[in-house]
Order: sequence, then structure tokens, then C-alpha cells
Amino acid sequence: MQEQINILYLDDEEQNLFSFLALFRRDYNVFTTTSAQEAVQYLNSNIVHIIFSDQKMPDVSGVEFFETIRHDFPDAVRILITGYADIEAVIDAINRGQVYRYVTKPWDANELKVCIENAVEKYTRDKELMKKNRELERVNAELEQFVYSASHDMRAPLASIKGVINVAKAEGIDEKSAGYFDMIERSTNRLNDFVTNIIYFYQNTQTDDIDGDVNFDIMLDELIEKYSSYEQAGGIDFSRNIAKTGTFKSDEHRLKMILGNILSNAIKFSDNKKEKRTIDIEIVQNADKAVFKIADNGIGIKSDDLNKIYDMFYPNTDKNAGAGVGLYIVKQAVDKMKGNISVKSEVGIGTRFIVEIPNKA
Amino acid sequence: MSNLKHIIFHLVDDNDIDIAVNSKLLQIAKISENILIYNGAGKFLDFIKSDNADLSVPNVVLLDIMMPNINGFQCLDQLTLMDDKIKRQITVFMVSSSIDRNDIRRAESYDLVEKILEKPLDIYLLKKYLEEVFE
Repeated sequence: MQEQINILYLDDEEQNLFSFLALFRRDYNVFTTTSAQEAVQYLNSNIVHIIFSDQKMPDVSGVEFFETIRHDFPDAVRILITGYADIEAVIDAINRGQVYRYVTKPWDANELKVCIENAVEKYTRDKELMKKNRELERVNAELEQFVYSASHDMRAPLASIKGVINVAKAEGIDEKSAGYFDMIERSTNRLNDFVTNIIYFYQNTQTDDIDGDVNFDIMLDELIEKYSSYEQAGGIDFSRNIAKTGTFKSDEHRLKMILGNILSNAIKFSDNKKEKRTIDIEIVQNADKAVFKIADNGIGIKSDDLNKIYDMFYPNTDKNAGAGVGLYIVKQAVDKMKGNISVKSEVGIGTRFIVEIPNKA
Repeated sequence: MSNLKHIIFHLVDDNDIDIAVNSKLLQIAKISENILIYNGAGKFLDFIKSDNADLSVPNVVLLDIMMPNINGFQCLDQLTLMDDKIKRQITVFMVSSSIDRNDIRRAESYDLVEKILEKPLDIYLLKKYLEEVFE
């Protein structure tokens, strides 16, 4: 410890101050005073590492003094000096985190010395920890920012590729090329979904809800329209049933992301062996909440996997369909909106998600 | 339908692929043949202020958000300061690959902006919006 350690000692008995000073003036920079006011003045103009205070003083108790300075000088290690009679107050103060430890009077010089050394160690450790924490927070924020902007930058060229494919298809291409374009489009969609989900994930952690009136019909129109371009979506029978009472207010953007992810899963994991593939969407909404039920007759989820579907990077390995972030983000968003999500599934029969979202109207 | 034919389209985007795609899509969907392209907002702003601009018919701007020098928002700020006789004939559709919520909210706050469209441009969605505005 190269840094000079500053110790402040407040006590109404000058004799105590003298003997303390005599003991420690050589090793530490000690400032002593009988006045709490002077102690505060000293704290204001000096960096103090350790503060000793007597408990029993005429104007203010040691615990009270610590309480007044605690928030302005949180780094200083506070040590109370007290007689046995005040032990209750001391225990209470320690439990409430007001003091680091106490020394009983009359003190033993060696005990006091060890106490100071421990306090210096604690001070250094706390400082180091704080520094590391700040560093970690900074690195974390930078990393988030990087992922966020990188994902945004990736979306622009992806959108261009998709645009070119649209033009090529609209202009008409021969069958063989159309097949290749389909492959490009499928891969592009997968990459785009993944990048989009990463962006959603960071938006989820960073922004608060933006609430507005939600029109379920328009929302479902948009979602179904968006996902029906998926290769698997052709031939799926979508049904919808909406029971609405009054208006529903919520964060539509987040809601779309939640339902969109569940819908796209229902499409991706639909069962090709079935003659009729269905996705049923049911919305029941009242003044308190909206309940969304999305049921499919797809391939289903193994019961062993059911409790892992919300984990990050837990993709269903049977079908190479995604990176496994979708439902993780869905769960995050549902939690953020103070809602609920549950799932029932049976292999070969189908899957049903139920999402409850509070109504903010 | 016929009303859309008169519209002059201004495609403002720094990405030449997106410009090519969007102008092709406008033609394929038979929305308009009057398409002017600019590889930056500065050139568009200069043009729309100039005598060459035809303000006797509706002018629709497909405006990209992320562009160097003058970005989409700065372009909107400058448009907002222009004469009413120019602004009256201008309808802006923001076209962006950004799904940043702050960007979307910011774009919605401009009176001149009719809608925010995600890239790649869904040409039939644009057509639907145009019909709502002009028919």
C-alpha cells in the first residue's frame, strides 16, 4: 500500500485523541477532533480512508455521526469506539451496515493496530472491486453497442439481397434459376431472422414499453402475411378467433415480436406428413388482459426439451431451423411486459402456446 | 389507379442496388414511369428547390434513413423549412432496413412522413398506401 492512509478520529475526550495520535502518527496521517462539525469540514476537504468515532459524545452519538456522513463519504471505512454499556446500539449499527466494526474502550494498542490494518485492506479491496465493476460495466455496454450496431449494419445488405430476389422473381425467371433463387431467399430469410432477433433482444433489454391501442386483426394480418412467405407455410390453414371487450393497450412492437416468433416456429415445425396442417390463433381480451393461444398440429416438442425451450442457444436439433434465440427473446419480452407464457406439446400431435399480456388501457 | 400515374417519384438512397431494385419494382407494379433517382439527399434537396421541379403534380419521396453527409432525418428537417407550395405537393415514405424503435418513432414525428416502410420494399403495400393517399 503505497498510498498515504488518512485517518480521522472524533472523540469528545481529548485524552483519547492524544493517546491515539501518539500510537499511530508515525504510520498514518491522523487527524483528530472533538467536534463533529470540524470532522465534517475535514472530510469535505480531504480524502479520508478510515474514520474512528467515539459512540458516547454529548452532542451527537457515534452512530448518528456516521449516519450523517455515510452517503456523502461512502468509501471511508467507519469504526466505532465504545464502552460495553452501548453494545446494543453497536450491534444494531453493524447490522444496518452503518459501521464496519467496533473497538471497545479502553482499547488495546495491538488490537487497534490490527483493526486499522484490516480496515486499510477492506478499503483497498472495495476500491479495487469498484474499479473492476466499472470496467466490466463499460466493456459490457461497449459489447452490447457493438452487437447492436453490427446487427443493424448486417440488415442493410440482407435487405438489398432480398430486394434483388423480389425483382428477379417479379420479372420472371426460368424454372432452374427460380430454384436457385429460392435457395438464396431461404438462406437470406434465416440469416435475416437471426440478425433481427439479436436486434430485438438488445432493444428488449434497453428500452421501456411504448404503449398504444392494438388492433388484433391488423396485427394478425401483418404477421400472417409476413410469415406466409416461408417455404414451409404453403398449404397451412390459418384460423383466427378474436373475442374482444373494450380497447387493448400494450406495446404493439413487442407483442408482434412475441407472436411472430411463436408463429414462425409453428410454421417451421409444421408436420409435412399430415394431410392438413393447421395453425389456430385465438385471442380473448378483457379489461385486465389479453390471452393469446397459438395451437398447431406440428411435429411437437419432446417432453425432455420442453423446459429448455426458453434457454438461449437451445435449438431443436432435429430440424436445422434456427439458432435458438427466438423463444429466449420471447420469454424476456413477456417477462418485461409482466405477462405469462406457457406451453403444452405432444410429439406428433402438436404444440400450443398460451401468452397472457396485461391490458394497460 | 390512374391518379398514381401522374406521381413523380424521387428515390433518395446512397445504395445503388436499393435504388435499382425500387425503381424496377415501381415499373413492374406499373405504378409510375416518372422516377428520378439521387444517390444522396443533397442532390434531391437542390432539385426540389429548383425550377426543374414539377410541383403541379404530387411528388412522392422514397427516403432512406441511413445515408452519409445528409441522412434521412436531416433531409426531412430541411424539407420542413421549405415553402408551403413545395411541401404541399410532397409526400414522404421513409424506407429503411433499420428496425430501431427510436428511428421509427422519430420518423413518425414528422408531418411530411406518410409511412415508414421496411426494406426490402413491399411494392404492393406501398401501392395500397399510395391509393389511400391519392384516390
